[in-house]
Amino acid sequence: MSGKTVLYVEDNEYNLKMVRQLLARTSYRLIEATDGELGVATALKEQPDLILMDIQLPKLSGLDATRRLRADPKTAAVPIIVITSFALSGDDQKAKDAGASAYMAKPYSPRELLQMIRKLVPEN
Amino acid sequence: MSEEASITDSGLVSAAPRVAGWEEKAAHFLLTRSPLGYLVRRVARLKASVHTKLLAGFFIVTLLFIGMGVLSLQTIAKMSSQGQLLDEAHERVHWSQQIQHALALQMNFTAMALLLRDEATVENILRENNRFNNTLARIEKAAQPEQLQLIQRIRAAQGEALTTVADIANLVRDGKVEEAMRLQLNKEYPLYVQIEGLVNQLVQREQKQMDGLRSSVAAANRQTLILMASSAAALILLALLLGFVISWSFILPVQEAHGFLSQVAKGNFATTIKVPNRDEFGALAEHMNHMSEELHRLYESQRLAAQQLQSLNEQLQRASKAKSDFLANMSHELRTPMNAILGFVEMVLDDIYGEVPPHLKEPLTDIQTNGKHLLRLINDVLDLSKIEAGRMELVLADYSVQDMVDTVRASLQSLALEKGLDFVAAAEDDIPLAYGDGKRITQCLMNLVGNALKFTKHGRVAVWVEQRGNELLYRVSDTGIGIPKEELENIFTEFQQVDTAVTREFTGTGLGLNITKKFVEMHEGRIWVESELGKGSTFFFSIPLRVNHGGDT
Repeated sequence: MSGKTVLYVEDNEYNLKMVRQLLARTSYRLIEATDGELGVATALKEQPDLILMDIQLPKLSGLDATRRLRADPKTAAVPIIVITSFALSGDDQKAKDAGASAYMAKPYSPRELLQMIRKLVPEN
Repeated sequence: MSEEASITDSGLVSAAPRVAGWEEKAAHFLLTRSPLGYLVRRVARLKASVHTKLLAGFFIVTLLFIGMGVLSLQTIAKMSSQGQLLDEAHERVHWSQQIQHALALQMNFTAMALLLRDEATVENILRENNRFNNTLARIEKAAQPEQLQLIQRIRAAQGEALTTVADIANLVRDGKVEEAMRLQLNKEYPLYVQIEGLVNQLVQREQKQMDGLRSSVAAANRQTLILMASSAAALILLALLLGFVISWSFILPVQEAHGFLSQVAKGNFATTIKVPNRDEFGALAEHMNHMSEELHRLYESQRLAAQQLQSLNEQLQRASKAKSDFLANMSHELRTPMNAILGFVEMVLDDIYGEVPPHLKEPLTDIQTNGKHLLRLINDVLDLSKIEAGRMELVLADYSVQDMVDTVRASLQSLALEKGLDFVAAAEDDIPLAYGDGKRITQCLMNLVGNALKFTKHGRVAVWVEQRGNELLYRVSDTGIGIPKEELENIFTEFQQVDTAVTREFTGTGLGLNITKKFVEMHEGRIWVESELGKGSTFFFSIPLRVNHGGDT
């Protein structure tokens, strides 16, 4: 029985690696994309159960990517967690406006991120 | 000359915007189409003061009228002397007529003497003869030279006639009447006829002379009248012209100045005023030119300065935009590696990579603590930079004071416990929903409580929030080291901590209080502190319960 799929759109390899290792001991399956365009394409193709979207990405910003996914019926209902720069800068409001289900300020605690993922998409 | 004429023209043209009345049109015509324009400029060029020119003008007009008075007096005197001459001529005519009469009587008495032959009649002849002679003497005395010859002839003939009368009288006395009558008829009578002719000639001449005199007086009177009238007209015209010339020699520079000043008022500093005057108006024009030059210089330098300011301002705006873009990028760029550092440490400590050996737990926790500290520093520096760049904006929304106090207590409870401090955080009951940037206010409260926990070794740290009218009063008190009086003023300034020794013991950026103050002020609130060295400090800030607008720093 395969676990739920989580798409992480992030251009920094260490953060990708960190989440990869964080989810390695869970049943979640991680797929990755390193820019906004790729992120949207992968999401439409793979239909993940949850998307982690960094706010600042090459080619297409995380907010614009979120808006595109929300506009497409295939991904309109997928939970999206937007990783903002700083919770106090107003980014959280922008994330909500773009259609994020939740947001997490960077730097985030891996423990808290995992809690949030589990809350939105429970493990089998 | 031509240059002056053009100046006069321009002077009038520049004054033209006012609606010109007919007087002004007439003056313009006279000044440009007659030698008066030249005269006006000559008067203007006279090197004399306005006062002197006016005085001279009035003096000349006065002299002209005095001259006219003298001329009239002379005319009156001449007319009266002519009247006298006419009187005299009239008298002479009268006398000549008397002689005529006397002669007639003389002849009559002679004839009577021949008939009556008495002495009384002869006496009458002599009496009339005397009367004739007396009158003739008077005429001679008043006569013109050309009459004298005629009068001599009359006298000679009269003398002969008298001798003849005497002879006739003697012949009558001797009784020789026949002979006497013959003498009277042949000699005396022709003599009398001759005399009568001469006297008639005299009378005619005098009459003629009188008539001539009369007509010449009439002609002279007519002439005098014409002369008087024309000289009076000429004098009045002259006085008017003089007035015109003098007044326009003053009006022209004034009109020129009017035109010039309206140009200057429009900001046209390139024009200069030129007047031919070498009096006060000339000096005034020169001063105006100086003034215009000075204004032009000031205007130019001010324009230049404004241009420089403008370009500086644009540079500043570009720099500010670049700074703000840089900050936004930097914020994310710094956080990305921080995320990995703190994330991996946390995962290691959470035993995700297997159980951590006990001797590594402490160094890993130190990495985590310092990493979090570094993150706070980065946040503070970025916040402050944003505030300084004027790019910090409040995100206004409703927030609950109670929730905020709970958050602060939850976040810092563990730190207080670690230090063994009593930590209380509470808010007055029934505070309504507040309006403002709840996260920034939480940040302020966290900064103050964080500091209080940091600088307090024993005792307690207490947070209390209450409503006072339309304001919320936040209070954070501790029983820490306190702040010396002389430092109280500087405590909210950037990079300021109580002293270096304290800094060594309690590490911190010194930015927290400054950022707190900025956020409080952005909420239109104020912050202050009360402290006693060694006993503790209490920080207060008050902000409106509901903020009207998000102010910039």
